[in-house]
Amino acid sequence: MTHPSGILPKIPPGLRLAFATAILAVVWLVVLPSIGRYPAVERHVRLMESRDVNPSAMVYTELEHLPLRPAWIERHLVLWPTGN
Amino acid sequence: MATDPGADVRRRGFHEDSAAILIGVALVALALAIGWSTRPTGDAASRKAFPKGWPNRLSATIDKPQTWSDAPQQALVVVDKKDKTKVKPVSIPILLGMTWVVGILAAGTLLRGRSLAAVLPGACLLALLGGLAYLMAAQKVINYYNLEYPLWALLVGLVIGNTIGVARWLEPALQGEFLIKTGLVVFGAEVLFSRLLELGLPGLLTSWVVTPIVLVVTYLFGVHWLKIPSKSLCMVIAADMSVCGVSAAIATGAACKAKKEELSLAIGLSLLFTVAMMVVMPPFIQWAGIDPIVGGAWLGGTIDATGAVVAAGEMLGKNLDDKRPAEVAATVKMIQNSMIGIIAFAVAVYWAGWVDRDAAGPKTSLVAEAWRRFPKFILGFIGTSIVCSWLFTMSPELALLVDGAINGFTSRLRGWLFCVGFICMGLQTNFRELAPTLASGRPLILYCGGQVLNLVLSLAMASLTFGWLFRQGVTP
Repeated sequence: MTHPSGILPKIPPGLRLAFATAILAVVWLVVLPSIGRYPAVERHVRLMESRDVNPSAMVYTELEHLPLRPAWIERHLVLWPTGN
Repeated sequence: MATDPGADVRRRGFHEDSAAILIGVALVALALAIGWSTRPTGDAASRKAFPKGWPNRLSATIDKPQTWSDAPQQALVVVDKKDKTKVKPVSIPILLGMTWVVGILAAGTLLRGRSLAAVLPGACLLALLGGLAYLMAAQKVINYYNLEYPLWALLVGLVIGNTIGVARWLEPALQGEFLIKTGLVVFGAEVLFSRLLELGLPGLLTSWVVTPIVLVVTYLFGVHWLKIPSKSLCMVIAADMSVCGVSAAIATGAACKAKKEELSLAIGLSLLFTVAMMVVMPPFIQWAGIDPIVGGAWLGGTIDATGAVVAAGEMLGKNLDDKRPAEVAATVKMIQNSMIGIIAFAVAVYWAGWVDRDAAGPKTSLVAEAWRRFPKFILGFIGTSIVCSWLFTMSPELALLVDGAINGFTSRLRGWLFCVGFICMGLQTNFRELAPTLASGRPLILYCGGQVLNLVLSLAMASLTFGWLFRQGVTP
């Protein structure tokens, strides 16, 4: 093994991993689903779902709808049109 | 004379950057070739018929876990949005996505003249961990508040690296930089220069005037005013804050050879501020009575992550019952996305020519010295970007071919490569190296200072262009 941790030196490595995994499991399987049921969070999620928004998109290609020049912007503003 | 058997192997193999370029270009070419060979016969030029481009058969070979709320197994099926009883399993495309990563690691290993047998077991484990990170990122609360997968990939790596450490058999597979470089070459296909003028001059001015100013001023502020010892840390923070978050941090981090710890820190800062700005800015715009179109452009120019920009635009639009803020916000951000290639190239040239230059070293020409130090994979990134941009502008059919290849395959593959790359980075990250800088709070001050400048300049430029100069053109 390399890159040993100095955070919890007296606990055996396997136990450290089990402990960290248990914390993550509780957060993801219990805490986050509970937070998801809060009215404000639920409203936000519902709004995003209803509008087909993917807020975790890293770049525009991951969005549900490709952003294209809005129709209400006058054509003369665009130096050349893209796609049809 | 004693010979080094390893030296012969090294001579036979390609450099990491060359291997990344070869594999990345081959994958983009494959996606375009398959898209072209299976092109639709009717309505082939219609954006209406194919809003996300021509369907690409490679899309069946790659996917990621879907959003889930209570039980992780929900991530393995796609539920039809109109008919909730219709579900499509995605376990096999997810497994195939992992297989692509293992295959790319294997191909890279062979091209670099290394032992395949030593890499394969570790590559399989890393791909599985990538799947776990994606699964964590797909939890609904996490997903809808824009806490992107790189954060969880880093966390998974950090947890393992700091509890049981990295087993020796896993070490040969820890090729995070190679995966990220290959991912960036593939990513080049998504960076379409031809999208830069999508919103015409107002969008261009909002992105192109403000972004470079904020980038340069923030970098200089970090280096000269805050005296942060690492210039690459200043550059990565400046780029992720001023351009477009994680993707810009990855590209510029690779261009200026930032340390893993620096990239992790910049990404963490960016994602935390993104969540806060996504929630706070829409009500603020409404409260301050800012024009919705100007507000949309402001959101697009300042919030780091693309998804969060659209989410904030929708929140603002919903409050005002207006679709325009989200449309403008998304398009301004897309223009910024399209700048990544140019910015990464400029940073690589600046770093190779000036920052990394050894004053005490042998006197060679600036160009020769810069070329020697230049990260060559950037040429692959720029190359795929130029070719796909050129194809995109050639005809409506080719634009749909490029969009289909990107949406159906390359963007998903790039996501997997980055995700597993970040797992590797997490496994190898030692935050103790950054402890003195972190304790000083200077990276946080740098981010906040740069973001304040970004907010002020973006609002001024959005007001000038969308609110005044081109007001008539952008009023329905």
